[in-house]
Amino acid sequence: MKIIAVGSEAVVYEKNNTIIKRRVRKNYRIKEIDEKLRKNRSKAEFNIMRFLYESGLNVPKPLKYLEEKKEIWMEKIEGKRLAEEFSVNSASDIGMVVAEMHNLGIIHGDLTTANMIKKDKKLYIIDFGLSYHSSKDEDFASDIFLFKNALKSKHNDLYKEAYYSFLHAYKSKIRKEFKGIDTHLKDIEERRRYNESY
Amino acid sequence: MYTLGIESTAHTFGIGISDNDKIIANERDTLRPSSGGIIPREAAMHHFKFAPEILKRALDKSGLKLKDIDLFAFSQGPGIIPALKVGAQLSAFLSKKYGKKLIGVNHCIAHLEIARLYTKLSDPVMLYVSGGNTQIITYYNGTYIVFGETQDIGVGNLIDKIGRKLDIPFPAGPKIEELAKKSRHYIEMPYSIKGMDVSFSGIETFISKLIGREKTEDIAFSLQETVFSMLIEASERAMAYCLKNSLVITGGVAANKRLNEMGEKMCKDRNAAFKAIPMEFAGDNGAMIAYTGYLMKDYKQKDLAIRPRFRTDTVEIKYR
Repeated sequence: MKIIAVGSEAVVYEKNNTIIKRRVRKNYRIKEIDEKLRKNRSKAEFNIMRFLYESGLNVPKPLKYLEEKKEIWMEKIEGKRLAEEFSVNSASDIGMVVAEMHNLGIIHGDLTTANMIKKDKKLYIIDFGLSYHSSKDEDFASDIFLFKNALKSKHNDLYKEAYYSFLHAYKSKIRKEFKGIDTHLKDIEERRRYNESY
Repeated sequence: MYTLGIESTAHTFGIGISDNDKIIANERDTLRPSSGGIIPREAAMHHFKFAPEILKRALDKSGLKLKDIDLFAFSQGPGIIPALKVGAQLSAFLSKKYGKKLIGVNHCIAHLEIARLYTKLSDPVMLYVSGGNTQIITYYNGTYIVFGETQDIGVGNLIDKIGRKLDIPFPAGPKIEELAKKSRHYIEMPYSIKGMDVSFSGIETFISKLIGREKTEDIAFSLQETVFSMLIEASERAMAYCLKNSLVITGGVAANKRLNEMGEKMCKDRNAAFKAIPMEFAGDNGAMIAYTGYLMKDYKQKDLAIRPRFRTDTVEIKYR
């Protein structure tokens, strides 16, 4: 078993082409908070992955969930994280996949290029640790807003172009009317503290 | 180069003086309302009243006269309009009278710069927690990016609001901390972390309903554990994502020992550095404005009006 990633809340291991994601105990949190968060998040994550996989979205195939250890076992996706080789072209692929995911009523909750893998020209989304079910315009908007900020902080040089092509692709694929989502998108931005536009 | 900085964004009026990157004076006075929160007009009146005395104390401490000052700086925002105006007007007057340059400083960035100066951490993630502000800031591609922040109220404000409902005077932080130490009974509360952002208004509503039904100690304990866990979790996410290996906690809420303990544990577990900054420089102070003004000495600023909603990520950082 080898460690392939240490994220902020989980350690990811690899064993015979299987990826094991274990939510580790956080010593800074009291047990009452920690146990519950880890259990609920792992279970929810596994269920969402299974739902998306069965619906045909490009996500790793979930294999099993071990509650006691807070472990999710899934199939390995060979490929590079998009954060390492990001380009404006891939932004449009991201827009497509995110729209498909939203069409299925899933909000990712942590859309960053570190949570995307490219394999055989197909884009896979991983890490559903903060995902939840919703088909509300507002929640769609919050996912888009998170991704926009992630672009800004990680790929600042390409940010404007990349966001534009992401949005263009997203709009072409999303089954809801984009106008409603866009209203919320503007609203979120304005709701933040210290917005100088008004 | 002597820089005199004026801080007046909220309830603290402070004047600091730096000699290049050395702080040689840091004087202040903080308005403590006898009941309720800060009333903007009262904050401004407080600052007007104390300005001459604080200025004199800072000059005495540094052994300088106003004519020795080479550069004036003031806190341009974010903050409360009437309070901000006091610092802006005083600094503009002094700069004009002595014919020296005036620099407008972003209050949040000043917190980060003084934290870097005193902790000697060159590139930390900063958790900035005060009454009005809750931000996780880190340096990225030429600006300070706000990686995560509150979507509604500042964490200090939440604590003060709960404090008010429990009849604890402003600022409620120290008393809440003391009460929390007496409890080990956790009441489950909404844990609201959205990506990198946090949200506190749900907790406020939730706790309002507990008051009178649960023990005050248990409420204080559960409040602290919940919101600090959220803040440290968000900080850890920022560190992991931006590959930073140190954390600084600053702002008024940084005085809380439990929050520091949690930050320290989190950093230890990921082999990162954690440093607390001296409390004198964690709360609002004039020294941080002076020092940041000094760093920005070559900036050419056209607009020196106050900016009550001044966002951290709109300042171009040219000195790093």
